[in-house]
Amino acid sequence: MGQHDKFDAIIAGAGHNGLTTACYLAKAGLKVLVVEKNDWIGGASVSRSLHDGWTYSNCSYVCSLLRREIVRDLELPRFGLQVIPYEGGASFTPDGDYFAYYSDHDALRREMFRHSPADVDAYERFSQTVIRQCRFIRPFLLRNAPDPSSLRPRDLNELLFLLKKAHGLGARELGETLRFWTMSIGDFLDEHFESDLIKAHIAGAGIIGTGLGVYSPGTAYVLLHHYMGDVDGSIGAWGFARGGMGAIANALGACLEEAGGTIVTGSGVDEFLVKDGRITGVALENGDTYEAPIVASNMDVKRTFLEHTEEKHLPEDFTRAVKRFKIRGSSGKLNIALDALPEFPAAPKGAPFLRGDMHCSQSLNELERAYDDWKEGRWSQQPYFDMLIPSQIDPTMAPPGKHMMTVFVQYAPYDLEVNGIRSGENWNDETRKQFADCVFDKIEIAMPDIRKHVLHAEIRTPWDIENEVGLTEGNIFQGELTFDQLLFNRPVPGYSQYRTPIDGMYLVGSSAHPGGGVMAAPGANAAREILRNVGKGNLMPSHAA
Amino acid sequence: MTVSATYDVLVIGGGHNGLTAAATLAKKGKSVCVIEKSEQLGGMAREVAHLLYNLHPKVVRELGLKGLADGKPLATVSLVEDGKHVEIAGDTVRFADGTTHPDAVAYVELTSRLKKFAALLGQLSSHSPPKLDGGLTSLATLGELAGLAKLGLNLKLLGKKDMNEFLRVILTNAYDLVLDEMPDGPLAGALCADAVRGNYVGPRSPGTVFNLMYRLGQGGEAYLPKGGMEAVVCAFESAARTAGAEVRTGQGVKRILVEDDKATGVELEDGTHIAARTVMASTGPQAVMQMAGVEHFDVEAARRIRNTRCKGTVAKLSLVLKDAPSIVGLSREQMRSRFLIAPSAAVVERSFNPAKYNELPAAPVIEAVILTPSDPDLAAKGQHILSLNVQHIPHTPEGGWDEAKRQQVIDTVVAQLEVYMPGVSASIERADLLTPADIEELTGAPGGHWHHAEMGVDQILTVRPVNGLAHYGFAVQGLYLCGASAHPGGDVTGLPGRNSAIQLLKDGVLS
Repeated sequence: MGQHDKFDAIIAGAGHNGLTTACYLAKAGLKVLVVEKNDWIGGASVSRSLHDGWTYSNCSYVCSLLRREIVRDLELPRFGLQVIPYEGGASFTPDGDYFAYYSDHDALRREMFRHSPADVDAYERFSQTVIRQCRFIRPFLLRNAPDPSSLRPRDLNELLFLLKKAHGLGARELGETLRFWTMSIGDFLDEHFESDLIKAHIAGAGIIGTGLGVYSPGTAYVLLHHYMGDVDGSIGAWGFARGGMGAIANALGACLEEAGGTIVTGSGVDEFLVKDGRITGVALENGDTYEAPIVASNMDVKRTFLEHTEEKHLPEDFTRAVKRFKIRGSSGKLNIALDALPEFPAAPKGAPFLRGDMHCSQSLNELERAYDDWKEGRWSQQPYFDMLIPSQIDPTMAPPGKHMMTVFVQYAPYDLEVNGIRSGENWNDETRKQFADCVFDKIEIAMPDIRKHVLHAEIRTPWDIENEVGLTEGNIFQGELTFDQLLFNRPVPGYSQYRTPIDGMYLVGSSAHPGGGVMAAPGANAAREILRNVGKGNLMPSHAA
Repeated sequence: MTVSATYDVLVIGGGHNGLTAAATLAKKGKSVCVIEKSEQLGGMAREVAHLLYNLHPKVVRELGLKGLADGKPLATVSLVEDGKHVEIAGDTVRFADGTTHPDAVAYVELTSRLKKFAALLGQLSSHSPPKLDGGLTSLATLGELAGLAKLGLNLKLLGKKDMNEFLRVILTNAYDLVLDEMPDGPLAGALCADAVRGNYVGPRSPGTVFNLMYRLGQGGEAYLPKGGMEAVVCAFESAARTAGAEVRTGQGVKRILVEDDKATGVELEDGTHIAARTVMASTGPQAVMQMAGVEHFDVEAARRIRNTRCKGTVAKLSLVLKDAPSIVGLSREQMRSRFLIAPSAAVVERSFNPAKYNELPAAPVIEAVILTPSDPDLAAKGQHILSLNVQHIPHTPEGGWDEAKRQQVIDTVVAQLEVYMPGVSASIERADLLTPADIEELTGAPGGHWHHAEMGVDQILTVRPVNGLAHYGFAVQGLYLCGASAHPGGDVTGLPGRNSAIQLLKDGVLS
């Protein structure tokens, strides 16, 4: 392959969305090239062996949102993807107790009863509402967001679909839906539950990845964003991809290879090449150029247009809108190799919830205060974390007898404040260590002897995630999930349907509708749009069409 | 039990909305009686409000309220410690010393955009909110949707660019919207302060752009009414009385009488029964449910009503001063302004933080106005009254209110004032503080909340105050909600009272 090869389509970035688009296009017969700046593929859906024998899923760590239609279309299980559900989780308290969340309904009722009898009934109402909202939203994930300012038949059709679904809810539920979509997860939980611990346990899903607090309006929707997935048809369930989250990218990569696509790693896009308002190809950092009439960017909208596209090719309004698009770094990660499974003094030996998501947050107020710290440019003094030890279920993650633990931490600012100056540069080995210490102190609530089991730990701040993965500010969703940036507003009003102001150029990452998480829906939706535009819409497999 | 009289309509609560409802119905020839538990009419309009900015022109016209918001609107001065205060007078934005402000253009561009959107939303404010009860395809609902369709059409008429912008910002937060246009400072602080006023939010909370638009509904100009809010209340009262409504004060309602799921009158605290064909209440939804009896509400409705968000956050502080106050850097003429202590958007957000945990703020956002230049009669000769709305004071701080905590609020505010008005503390002759808890006690407003119910996007329009009860009619036949907790919401607008009266007539419960 020469360095000036021509392709039908080039995808910039081998994240799960870029690979998904590439797979669909290649399967439809296009000659596809994926270029990736890192030496490995996956973007934030990645697993790497940072130490011999250990697999670090050092960005995303659990799987649920990946659309099953896409899994079927691309036959990912045939390429090694296997998702193993986990069966619960727990929140530990400093006084040696815990609240365990069991996926077994009766066990969960008994556990809730132990904390608050009233919350048992409350949970029925809560889960009914959430499931109803999940059912409402799921059909929209693999469709275009209608553009309300457009009168094109397709947009009107999408709008009609939305109205039809809304009508199907019935009047009362429509009102409840309007409320649910606009309220805070804190208020929503306060309406239902009385136990602080139960509320804190559930609330995490309403803030993960966002720059919002549990009492910020709109966070109930964020909870939905984390509940609308499924594992093997069980809505809201989460699981581990065997071999780490990289298994998803690897399966997509294998699928692409079989379909005849090409992946080039080790050099990222330096510039998207544009001539007379049309995309012509990409120039890589290593000097190579590739030509194609279709180029899709898996990078976030800011990185794509503010860093790798010449401003003169873009309308002024568009550039302004991209500049004000909010991508806020709010979370960090600790990836920890353990020499043995730590002690959990509170939990019965071998309790199933130890194999799920574990937390140490005690109340909604504690979570809200964690947010207040972040607003001022500090990491949370009492951070929220979502902590799992996948090696208990998936032995490929660590050497025998040893364990791999992943701790997603919120909030950690991108631009850390030190002596009145806020800057990403303030993240250094010193501040990184202080941040990790703060998290370890809190992990000790659940595992008092955690520190003595640590063999090595990788501390990832938003700054690090940006620098390595390429996500602006290390934001896991490639853009805040607030209403000004959802549906037809994502990423920019008027450009919500994967197209950009440049002919032939598309946006296929999580900056596009329906947003972030390892869902692959933006990638699949964008592929559908691309194929339609080249007159091959009929080659889109039926599940995601 | 004595039955004193039979009215077509009994209105519980003589706040400005109750009086508006009474006047509107009395003008249609209905026999109306307003019952107010305290000796004075006016409720929050008298006790808490100190400026007029959202009074609806339809209410002014229909009730014949004249001369309330005439004359020149007040300029707003956003105070800064270094003395470079910013003066906003309509579309003129400059430093208080008259020099050009670098962000003046951005400010005017932003506010005129918001005012345009506010006017659009305003179309929904003078009717009942769209009703979706019949499902989206029934004929009845289609009629209701016509209002929304008109809004949609007008939205389209704005053009694609403005329509997109409207749909982008409508649910978003003021902090980002403002800081996208200008650097953080007193101008951004002023916008953010107005975006959170009365609500339990900080400027970073999504939904605050809607709050800002609500405030800008009538253009946003604030007026210091001649004769103070007292005169405003008197005007509403005389409109009701002139129209033929009876007004009784000093009589509290113990319960609303319901027979066969129909409201039939009220029982006063002294045991007197007053019969009526319909009852309207301007108190909050919880209180109305309690008065009518929870048994008349279905379980879901009762649960929703109990969950109404109404955490009051505004305290009112009146300072009687023996010297005319002055602010460093402002002329005598500029002292007739609305002062904001909100030097940046970040400060406004920080002001809100403690309230979330029922703690007292260290540096609350303050809106202050000197009442006496326009109304020398309000105070004894030579005295001056500085009226302050202190934002983000919790309804009940941890451990409850006591003298020390009340003094702490006063001291915090005075210390803030001292920065801009050196020597003001020595001039204070009296300080009267109304905490949100006091306001609730005094006026019956739920949670002492400025708007009776939080103006969150989850509590407006079709879901205000709660889903299923947004059309003023309140579960029991002939029982209506006519206060700020009903659509469109709080501020001295007169609209909830007017709209509910019109809905009552439309429902035909009196025919």
